[in-house]
Amino acid sequence: MDVNQPKQEHLLALKVMRLTKPTLFTNIPVTCEERDLPGDLLNQLMKDDPSTVKGAETLMLGEMLTLPQNFGNIFLGETFSSYISVHNDSNQVVKDILVKADLQTSSQRLNLSASSAAVAELKSDCCIDDVIHHEVKEIGTHILVCAVSYTTQTGEKMYFRKFFKFQVLKPLDVKTKFYNAETDEVFLEAQIQNITTSPMFMEKVSLEPSIMYNVAELNTVNKAGESVSTFGSRTYLQPMDTRQYLYCLKPKQEFAEKAGVIKGVTVIGKLDIVWKTNLGERGRLQTSQLQRMAPGYGDVRLSLETIPDTVNLEEPFDITCKITNCSERTMDLVLEMCNTNSIHWCGVSGRQLGKLHPSSSLHLALTLLSSVQGLQSVSGLRLMDTFLKRTYEYDDIAQVCVISSKVKEEH
Amino acid sequence: GASYSSLILGPAPDLTYHGALSCTISICSTTFSSCPLPDIGVGSQVPGPNCSILVATGRSSPTEEFSGDAVKDLMLRFLGEQAAVKRQVLNASSVEQSFVGLKQLINSKNWRAAVDLCGRLLTAHGQGYGKNGLPTNHTTDSLQLWFVRLALLVKLNLFQNAELEFEPFGNLDQPDLYYEYYPHVYPGRKGSMVPFSMRILHAELEQYLGNPQESLDRLHSMKTICTKILENLEQGLAEDGSMTNITQENTQASVELWRSRLGRVMYSMANCLLMMKDYVLAVDAYHTVIKYYPEQEPQLLSGIGRIFLQIGDIKTAEKYFQDVEKMSQKWDGLQYQIMVLMNRAFLHLGQNNFAEAHRAFTEILRIDPANAVANNNAAVCLLYLGKLKDSLRQLEGMVQQDPKHYLHESVLFNLTTMYELESSRSMQKKQALLEAVAVKEGDSFNTQCLKLG
Repeated sequence: MDVNQPKQEHLLALKVMRLTKPTLFTNIPVTCEERDLPGDLLNQLMKDDPSTVKGAETLMLGEMLTLPQNFGNIFLGETFSSYISVHNDSNQVVKDILVKADLQTSSQRLNLSASSAAVAELKSDCCIDDVIHHEVKEIGTHILVCAVSYTTQTGEKMYFRKFFKFQVLKPLDVKTKFYNAETDEVFLEAQIQNITTSPMFMEKVSLEPSIMYNVAELNTVNKAGESVSTFGSRTYLQPMDTRQYLYCLKPKQEFAEKAGVIKGVTVIGKLDIVWKTNLGERGRLQTSQLQRMAPGYGDVRLSLETIPDTVNLEEPFDITCKITNCSERTMDLVLEMCNTNSIHWCGVSGRQLGKLHPSSSLHLALTLLSSVQGLQSVSGLRLMDTFLKRTYEYDDIAQVCVISSKVKEEH
Repeated sequence: GASYSSLILGPAPDLTYHGALSCTISICSTTFSSCPLPDIGVGSQVPGPNCSILVATGRSSPTEEFSGDAVKDLMLRFLGEQAAVKRQVLNASSVEQSFVGLKQLINSKNWRAAVDLCGRLLTAHGQGYGKNGLPTNHTTDSLQLWFVRLALLVKLNLFQNAELEFEPFGNLDQPDLYYEYYPHVYPGRKGSMVPFSMRILHAELEQYLGNPQESLDRLHSMKTICTKILENLEQGLAEDGSMTNITQENTQASVELWRSRLGRVMYSMANCLLMMKDYVLAVDAYHTVIKYYPEQEPQLLSGIGRIFLQIGDIKTAEKYFQDVEKMSQKWDGLQYQIMVLMNRAFLHLGQNNFAEAHRAFTEILRIDPANAVANNNAAVCLLYLGKLKDSLRQLEGMVQQDPKHYLHESVLFNLTTMYELESSRSMQKKQALLEAVAVKEGDSFNTQCLKLG
């Protein structure tokens, strides 16, 4: 894949070979039974073949390593490794050889050479070797520029360059979805698709939250004391396969107050993805900061702090709410509780909650019970701002599962 | 050369003539041959049946001659006629026209010549070139010759040719492939005349043609039948489910035979799933294979470890390699020690540590200096460590010291790749390799690895 310069007789030759990890040689087993015409002949041939596994010649996957035969693909986040060899093709000694390897992208030029010192002399048929590594951080066209300068025996200074162009492709397609819970929690679903041509082992996919949030990853479950991945035995992604990772973000205490009032775009954090392919070839990517549009809450936001998942039929249970003033003016709030077919509030309706300043919140403990079994929606709270004589209605705040007390709750 | 005319499957046998056979045939289609094969005398004349009554159902025919010598062709191109003339290989005419000669050709890796000799021997059975459509019979001998010819075509990677020649045999269950079809030749014998190994070959061939699902389907059918036969035997019945009073001894022998055949089918399945890159199923399948080949447990577990290395799941690979190391109580001896060291080396590779991998491969050479894999792999590591010259020295040393073992295409691929990296004068060195190959290798040598274009 090299673009050659106009021909000129040089004493030195430069060769470049990309060093992707080697692959394992596979055999095609051809066997027969003793009673067949060839008898033991075919099996003996397989035993004599140096590339079969000794004692298990029928096993296709051998142990012989084969060097890469072509450049292959290279993806963002992988490490580009290459062998650079400068060989003295002539029969004279060459002096003061300097080999430089640079990587040119659309935005920058990086020096990759391990050593920047010149080699004093290179005898005939000898070579200067270098293996360069570079973690690819940009997509698109990359050009490896190798420059060789040397002095001939007669003192003439010579110089030549070779260019090797390659494309860096995108390895993953990441899509994100946000789900807002009834509480201040935000659930992030990250869909990651392998858009390369070989299977990928996902070593680590983690969410680094922004300073406002704490994150809990929901991609492992605890089974008998061990952390088992939700993806089970399928630890790798085939080409074009997609996986969904789930994270729960909770605003930190000091930001919890703010979170209720924040409008517009907030920064949630970024995904850090590490993967491996053939023989442990590593790749690593971080997404840009993921952003979420905060849902509008209106002037007054009512959110749930605590509520049980499951309650018994006709038995009172407690919930706590947080009422946040998201407007610019102070409010004087009165709480009204209305019963529905299934929800019955306990306590005094119509009580004053007191003044609530802008951006501040108050906590409220309430008791209620349900008279209908099944998944019930908590509804019927009303807040009236006495200043503006405006009423805010809150229905379907949360769901609760109501079971008959005769049925024991299973833990 | 011969011409190949497409097979025309004739109409089904006339029911009134074969009325007596029709019911037995339906049973036979679910069983394979279970009796020991008769003495195979190549070239034995088969008495022909009354051809006027039998309906010709078409016959397979060798498609063409395969003799040729890619090595000699390259020598003519690159080393000149004088050098090429010195190249001597056995061909189909230079050996005894019998199985003895065939064995010689196979042993000396002159498989192209062997394929042609099979063709000639089949001609003696009335199934030679250009005999398509003529009434002739299958015998156990002729089927074995077909098996050898097809097996060698697969070994030569001539998959399309093998597919073409397999075609007339259909799904290997046509009535004229059963003993009952030839009551005068095999009186009282029941079952299929097709060698089990030929069925395995027939199934495996599809994956090499890019149809692994078809391979799996065929293997599954074979698995079902083997399982049914074993069930029948366990219940004290004959293989085909009929009543029998065979001795306990013979039943035991039959059970062992069918169990090993079932194991071979499972092995094929696991390999096929691996080729399909269905790694989860492949790993499960190899675990099943261990049950049939417990003596191969360390090799199979190591192989599974290598599968995980290929996926990139280094941790699970490590777990498998550790499991193999824990077996030192059960296994010992040189082969096991080498396996453990080999696994350690591969783990280092997976952890990007070429220096440690090189050390581990070199450790193997200390206890087994002739180990081709360790030699090759150590040389490969040297390249990744920036030591091209040292790597070349190691591989060239290997090839010169023991050409019998080391003139293998995988080693030569590595060698020629490094020659091309070393200098612009790689052609000279590649031609030197050609000369070495010319002395040692038969007509089946895959010359692509020499990269002479």
